[in-house]
Amino acid sequence: MLEVENLEVSYGALMALHGVSLTIQPQEVVAVVGPNGAGKSTLLKAIAGLLRARRGTIRWAGHRIDGQPPEHVLERGIALVPEGRRLFARMTVRENLELGAFTQPAQKGRQAQLERVYSIFPRLSEREHQVAGLLSGGEQQMLAVARALMGHPTLLILDEPSLGLAPRFVESLFSVLAELKRDGMSFMIVDQNVHMALQLAQRAYILEGGRIVREGEAQRMLHDDHVRAAYLGPLARGTS
Amino acid sequence: MILTQQLILGLLVGGLYGLAAAGLSLTFGVLRVLNVAHGEFLMLGGYGAFWLFSLWQIDPFVSLLGVGPAMFVVGLLLYWILFQFVVKADEETRIKNSLLIGFGLTLVLHTLAIRFWTADERAVTTAYAGAVMRIGVFAVPLVRLSSLVLAFAVLMALHLFLTKARWGRAIRATAEDWQAAALMGIPVGTTYLVAFALGSALAGIAGALVSVSYSISPSIGMEWTLKALIVVVLAGLGSLFGSFAGGIVLGLAEATSVTLLGGPYREVVGLVLFLVILLLRPQGLFGGRG
Amino acid sequence: MKLLLGGILLGVGFAAFPFVTQRNDLLNLGVQIFLAVALAQSWNLLGGYAGQITLGHAAFFGLGALVTRILWIGGAPLFLALAAGALVATAFGLLIGMPAFRLRGAYFSIGTLALAEILRITVGNLMPEISTIPAAALASYNILPRYYLTLLLAVLCVAVVALLVGSRVGLGIRAVREDEAAAEASGVGALKHKLLALMVSTALVGFTGGAFAYYHVSYYPQHAFSPAWTFDALLIAFVGGVGTIHGPVLGALFYVIFKEVLAVQWVDLHLLIFGVLFILVVLFFPGGLVEAWSRARRLITRRSA
Repeated sequence: MLEVENLEVSYGALMALHGVSLTIQPQEVVAVVGPNGAGKSTLLKAIAGLLRARRGTIRWAGHRIDGQPPEHVLERGIALVPEGRRLFARMTVRENLELGAFTQPAQKGRQAQLERVYSIFPRLSEREHQVAGLLSGGEQQMLAVARALMGHPTLLILDEPSLGLAPRFVESLFSVLAELKRDGMSFMIVDQNVHMALQLAQRAYILEGGRIVREGEAQRMLHDDHVRAAYLGPLARGTS
Repeated sequence: MILTQQLILGLLVGGLYGLAAAGLSLTFGVLRVLNVAHGEFLMLGGYGAFWLFSLWQIDPFVSLLGVGPAMFVVGLLLYWILFQFVVKADEETRIKNSLLIGFGLTLVLHTLAIRFWTADERAVTTAYAGAVMRIGVFAVPLVRLSSLVLAFAVLMALHLFLTKARWGRAIRATAEDWQAAALMGIPVGTTYLVAFALGSALAGIAGALVSVSYSISPSIGMEWTLKALIVVVLAGLGSLFGSFAGGIVLGLAEATSVTLLGGPYREVVGLVLFLVILLLRPQGLFGGRG
Repeated sequence: MKLLLGGILLGVGFAAFPFVTQRNDLLNLGVQIFLAVALAQSWNLLGGYAGQITLGHAAFFGLGALVTRILWIGGAPLFLALAAGALVATAFGLLIGMPAFRLRGAYFSIGTLALAEILRITVGNLMPEISTIPAAALASYNILPRYYLTLLLAVLCVAVVALLVGSRVGLGIRAVREDEAAAEASGVGALKHKLLALMVSTALVGFTGGAFAYYHVSYYPQHAFSPAWTFDALLIAFVGGVGTIHGPVLGALFYVIFKEVLAVQWVDLHLLIFGVLFILVVLFFPGGLVEAWSRARRLITRRSA
């Protein structure tokens, strides 16, 4: 279970998160939506250990993980699929996947996890030795998620997974996520495709200007007036 | 023909240029740190081989087994004392600071070397130093040929490490995108440390080979740093064998100029080439990255 | 304007010094200090205030020295020889300025270093023999004119840089250092300002080279192109306090005095110490001695308050 309490993160003098609090229960899917520049990526990076918080705590299964480097956060079971995928473009699909299992605990079950990942994303096993930079957008996103899965995470955080993807890829991606959810994984998902994110999620938070302005059940948010107007209107509906 | 003989010699020294450049390329590619004291590391390696030979008659090619690891440790120490602070800043500041720090380090190491070992030129002269292989009318000094082969072998080994080994891949991943690497659980600080130490070891090995194939003195540091820089700018970053090839190109270019302009202008040709490439590709080192 | 007062006092003090003592070794020390001030201050304008870390400073020092030496030994009047030296250095600076400034950051630095090395090697090849003042001039060699010339040079460097930096143009130069793109966007012609800083810097160091040529009895022409001069300039400027007016002066005083004091024990020990200080300054103490001094003063005044 993830507990974020009063998190404050700043870039120099610029405050990006003003005391953000949220929780993710085991096997829950939580969506975080909000406009550009609201601080969503900042929040995810802080949880993953890439950014240091000025104030506040982040607890995972009771232990504090704020201030820990990314490798410790990963070892505890939280993996981040970063915005823009950030693949190692010059390395092959397989090398990317194997790097995902870099940590010692992940190394042990590496072969088994690789096979599991190939069964979830058969496309990737076909392209095993292809250089990652030459894959299509959809395949790259698959690889990014697969790579994060190689670290045996219990909580998978995705930052804008549908960004730049064709609609059918978005659908297949979200159906894979749904499948993983059924297998018991927790998710935290930030995406511009608010509709799909809210459909996948059980609960959602709205982050605006570095603050949580609303939280509640995802289904209810789908029918909420404010949310519909701001994020689900005909102009804001994203790619679905 | 004099030109062909010179070209052969240029080829032989080019391999060492490539080795020297590979170390610098590795350090810069991974840490984005321009260690202009790289040539001093090479100089230290050369003296290591020299003293191992003078004091204990250890064959220089064998002493590589000692010099390499020793310079690796030197690199570890210098990273720990100095360069770990340089990498805390953003990339642009890093490059500027490493340039300055590197130059300060150059001064310190150079001064220490003169103090302890005097400014005299030294060379490792083994019993087989004069051995030469004849190809027609051309002479191929065996010691230099062995150095070339060894330089290539070292790069080969490094290549295998970087492509097959877990930590080697981690280093490559960090060089490409350190944040993504961190998210994989790769301890970025440690990869920096290892990459820097490897760069230092490569320089040291190159230096040992220089001491037996040519000669060393405390002043060769700057000269070799410049050579390495020239090759890196020629070959771009990202490929060890590119550096090797670039080194050979430089060696051959120098040989050609020596034939045309005479020995004293050997250095100038490389430097002019360097400036020309910098001006044609003002993005310089970054341009080579995909 | 405590600084100005202090500077004037210092200048007057140094000017009066030969009246107090005629000891050659002390006067020589003075010349060293003044040359060091000029060397560092001229670099400081381009490297400190304009933010263009040049490693080719020795190229212009060497050119100034070369031209001045040739003309002066050839019989030309001194001031002409000096002017010619500075002029040639400046002309060369202008020549390489445009292409050089196409290079950014580290590439500019290494590029200028490569350039200086090219000059050094070429001059070393074309003029390998040592250059010695002819016997007649040697017999009448007097340290005093050298002393006052170099003192004038040092004062000139400090004054010119101070005035330039304090002017409107100087503001533009410093804006380029802070953020070249922003400066360009707000109408400050970055290239123009960099070229101006380069020109003044090379003129001053060319003059310094000329003074060096006038001062030294015999040396190898290529020695004046040695990167050691560049390194000295950087060491002094940074340790003293790069980007300030009094930094290079403080640094020069320390540097030369240290060198004298330590030379007995171990000839280049001062280089070792300054090298380490330089590293520490770059990493942890960018303000150099100047900053250390002002921090110490604040600490003292706070304690006594």
